[in-house]
Amino acid sequence: MISYVLRRLIQFVPTIFGVTLIVFFLLNVLPGNAAMMAGGKNRIPPAAQKLMIKKWGLDQPVYARYFKYIKGLCTADLGTSFISGERVTDVLAPRLWPTFKLAVIALAIACVTGIPLGFYSALRQGTAMDTVTMIGAVSGVSMPQFWLGLLLMYFFSVYLKILPTVGYGNGDPKFIILPAITLGVGYMALLARTTRAAVVETLSQDYIRTARSKGISDLLINRRHVLRNTLTIILTSAGLQFGSLLGGTVVVETLFSWPGLGTMMVNSIYYRDTPITQGCVMIIIVGFLVINLLVDLSYALIDPRIKYQ
Amino acid sequence: MDNWVKKIRKRTNLVAGTIVFLIIVFVAVFAPYLAPTHPWDDADLMISELPPSGEYLFGTDSKGRDILSRVIYGSRISLSVGVISQLINSVIGIVFGLTAGYFGRLWDDIVVAVANIMLSIPSLIFALAVMALLGPGLINVFIALGLTNWAYTCRITRSQVLGTKNQNYVKAAKAMGFGRCRVMFLHILPNIFGPILVMASLGMADAILMEASLSFLGLGTQPPVPSWGGMLAGAREQLFTAPWLSIFPGLAIFITVLGLNLLGDGLRDLLDPHMSETK
Amino acid sequence: MKIWKIGLSLVLTLGLLGADHSFAVRKGGTFNWIAPYGSKIDTLDPNNSGDEQNGLVTMNIFRCLYRWNAAENKPQLELADAVDISPDGLVYTYSLKRNVKFHNGRQLTADDIIYTYNRIANPDNALSGTQNLVFIRGAMDVFEHKAKEVAGLKKIDDHKLEITLTSAIDPAFFLYSFPMSIVPKEEVERMDRPFSSNPVGCGPFKFVKWVKGSEVVLERFEDYYESGKPYLDKLVFKIMSSSAARDLSYRAKELDANLLYATQYAAYKKDPELSKNLVEVAEMFTRFVAFNPEWELADGRKPFSDVRVRQAFNYAINTDLIVKKYAKNKAYPAISFLAPTTPGYDPNGKRYEYNPEKAKALMKAAGYEKGFDLEIIGTGDSSYGTGVIEVAIPFLKKINISASALTLEGAAKYKRQGDRNFEAMICSFGSGPDGISALMLFHSTKAKKLPNVARYKNGEYDRTLDLAAETRDPEQRIAYVKKANEILQADAPIWFYNYNKAVIAHHPWVHGIQKVGIEHMFQDFTEVWVEATSPRANAK
Repeated sequence: MISYVLRRLIQFVPTIFGVTLIVFFLLNVLPGNAAMMAGGKNRIPPAAQKLMIKKWGLDQPVYARYFKYIKGLCTADLGTSFISGERVTDVLAPRLWPTFKLAVIALAIACVTGIPLGFYSALRQGTAMDTVTMIGAVSGVSMPQFWLGLLLMYFFSVYLKILPTVGYGNGDPKFIILPAITLGVGYMALLARTTRAAVVETLSQDYIRTARSKGISDLLINRRHVLRNTLTIILTSAGLQFGSLLGGTVVVETLFSWPGLGTMMVNSIYYRDTPITQGCVMIIIVGFLVINLLVDLSYALIDPRIKYQ
Repeated sequence: MDNWVKKIRKRTNLVAGTIVFLIIVFVAVFAPYLAPTHPWDDADLMISELPPSGEYLFGTDSKGRDILSRVIYGSRISLSVGVISQLINSVIGIVFGLTAGYFGRLWDDIVVAVANIMLSIPSLIFALAVMALLGPGLINVFIALGLTNWAYTCRITRSQVLGTKNQNYVKAAKAMGFGRCRVMFLHILPNIFGPILVMASLGMADAILMEASLSFLGLGTQPPVPSWGGMLAGAREQLFTAPWLSIFPGLAIFITVLGLNLLGDGLRDLLDPHMSETK
Repeated sequence: MKIWKIGLSLVLTLGLLGADHSFAVRKGGTFNWIAPYGSKIDTLDPNNSGDEQNGLVTMNIFRCLYRWNAAENKPQLELADAVDISPDGLVYTYSLKRNVKFHNGRQLTADDIIYTYNRIANPDNALSGTQNLVFIRGAMDVFEHKAKEVAGLKKIDDHKLEITLTSAIDPAFFLYSFPMSIVPKEEVERMDRPFSSNPVGCGPFKFVKWVKGSEVVLERFEDYYESGKPYLDKLVFKIMSSSAARDLSYRAKELDANLLYATQYAAYKKDPELSKNLVEVAEMFTRFVAFNPEWELADGRKPFSDVRVRQAFNYAINTDLIVKKYAKNKAYPAISFLAPTTPGYDPNGKRYEYNPEKAKALMKAAGYEKGFDLEIIGTGDSSYGTGVIEVAIPFLKKINISASALTLEGAAKYKRQGDRNFEAMICSFGSGPDGISALMLFHSTKAKKLPNVARYKNGEYDRTLDLAAETRDPEQRIAYVKKANEILQADAPIWFYNYNKAVIAHHPWVHGIQKVGIEHMFQDFTEVWVEATSPRANAK
């Protein structure tokens, strides 16, 4: 087990380098540069743009810039933002906690509602509740987040006047409710449907049939076998979603003025502020790696048949 | 008796799903004959933003075009984007996920690493790079969407395989001397197909909506050609002032995804090895 | 006795009148305002940014030597009480205000202005305002690393500053904008905290906190040099790029004022309550489609090199109808390039009316009766992006131009704009308060600020503009500007679409929102106050 974890941790290194290399190359391919974008609507004169390009080292060849980046990385230096001139670590740090909080709560909402719904509809296949869950899930994924967000905002803030429309509110829990629901609904739908499918799958396995035919109560079967067999997929799916939540919350963040990583990353891509983009990608990859390791390890805890060498 | 009712219901899923899917395919193919007006050439600013009425069943948009016609034409892009991109990423995801879970060891490590890398590269960067390297075009939309999301399918498949590969029927199949491919694709895959189908059919909605964000980067459909995602995205700021602009393309996406979900459920039941055994 | 009584009542009345006035202006309260241009603010170091999203915040923290006077629509002296101009118009001697303090308590002196301008001029800093200093003697030497400091900046004493120019122009137009804000050296060079997220200026509000990606909070600076001002206790900029979310937030009374997009403008206009407090201004932004005269068809012909084709394009599109229906009247149909608030604009100037027959005839005369295929690039913006092209396509179809649109994100579009890799392109350009610099965008050799996007070349136009720049007689100058604007209109190097009408809606308890033609979001909050009926009237 320990050697397995060690092996996985060592694998982090090439993965991280792989991702920096690919992202560096892809960003380099994109047309335009940060100097073109630095002025917003008031474009910056070409002469000033040239100064910026020189200052940021964008006039140097790609490989030179990549090596410089990697050299910095080895000393935990992620570089400085082109546009603001601040250290990337300083820019990223305050965004981590809001992003993490939002992701956790959204995922909690998704799990707490999605998994029981999935179980319920799998065990009661063909009932009205099953159909309702399915229609609900399909509407959950078909409805764009900005739709849902605006509708919630209208209902709770303008009509009922019980929740604030936007903002972070210094961490006041009232502010996180609407963005978390908006974000959680799509994942809830996905989780409910995946859980249902996994449970249906398990229920049709031979050993469950045997157990059933032996007269073991459904409840006991559910608890022992079904739960264990479906938990792996639920965990995988939830883990993947958590990872994608780290960088994929841009619509909700923009709508609710939430100070997360998603908007910062998307803006840095549009504004070609590549050090910031690299920093965000770094956080996401590390997040994915850690979560996936935890998920893989929990497979073994849940299902003893899975062994790690 | 109870079992029999269940079976009928399961067939109903398949039948209903197939019917919905065929209707949408029919609409897409025969759009020019079904649409009451041309979706962009017949634009008339004098009739812009009219709510639904007898004359314009779905109302008109801010550019003076009939929304019904645009929804009908939009099915062409949206359906193909949804289906093809999901096919691409399911195939890639299943192949990698199955083999990674089944063989384990180094191959598993490599696949997991690549999947993690793919998951960590923001899809926006990927889409912009595809646009920069390959230029605009529908094929490139398939590439951008198909190649970004396969890692999800891959990891789900892999986790399923890990839970299944030590089960008796797999051991039995191995003991009978079947080849690896046969074991993987004929014995394991049918047993884990349910969640994959669900992922693919729900992922369609995502792909259809994503297509709209790609068109803002120059990759996807370009104005004035309609797509459902594009119609929704274009109407986002008018959700309250002219709700019909977003309701109808939204409904179209909903019905399509619902139909494909029903079809997916039905297909799963049809392919389920255990079901056929009890026949 | 009687006289005394009358006197007293007079005093009382006068006193009351005076009191009435001071009663009306109420001190205190929090104002929730917006930063609507995108979902970010990059930096609060004003010198380091040309982006108006940063500027609309920093202009309330900092002050420049000049300030934009929104009421008179021109820049005016701000940090100096008076300026002496030498007879040749080259030497400006400023007598600086003596009561200007930075938020750290230190008094502003001539050194601060010299420090700031040197900081901006230094090419190693690569700051966005560098080009605004080219007219100061010695600035070019600093750009070219030939000198360390700008020679034309001279301190006479702590409160007297002398600036020497290279040519007799009015420096006000170059020194009023937010990238030219005066910054205190000791704060900029502090090592313990970055200036860009801890700005210290001498403006009416001082910085409190910045929740990156969400909001910036400022509070009243008690030692501000205009006594009694500002009135607000607190000013909050909420970063909100979604106009639909802003609309809801405004209706929930969480925002005190809101910038409207076309769709809300139409809705607010219809609403009996919301329509009451709309502040509208003709903004100096011109939206147009630039034609590329060098673009070749497969047969080698260059359609846009023919003035008749360009004119036909202008005649073919019913601009008024598009402005009315699609832009929902939140714009003014364009005449030529100069916007209505820019000196030199002629409201009665000749313009291209909607005349499809004339357009067809022009196309025929130019040999393009059968038309051609055309791809127009632009961003996804609904007011000046490919959305507009979608509306124009049916009109162009009637003169056989089969137009299509290609939406690009900002950087990709700028790249193609710079490379002149487009057939036609829709864009929005700030046409600015100064007619000459605005029209210089189309000067064939002197288009410095931005490259001449339409590659327009006309000797007479260039000469007229040169004359306008040389003359020192203001009336003569405006006459030249007017003439150049007319030449541009006749040659139609672009499709003249519209000028933006910027609209801010505010709640009834808000006072002091101004009409700012250069950019409506550049609201100076020194004079803004809220009544006791504001839900945040007493919020701290």
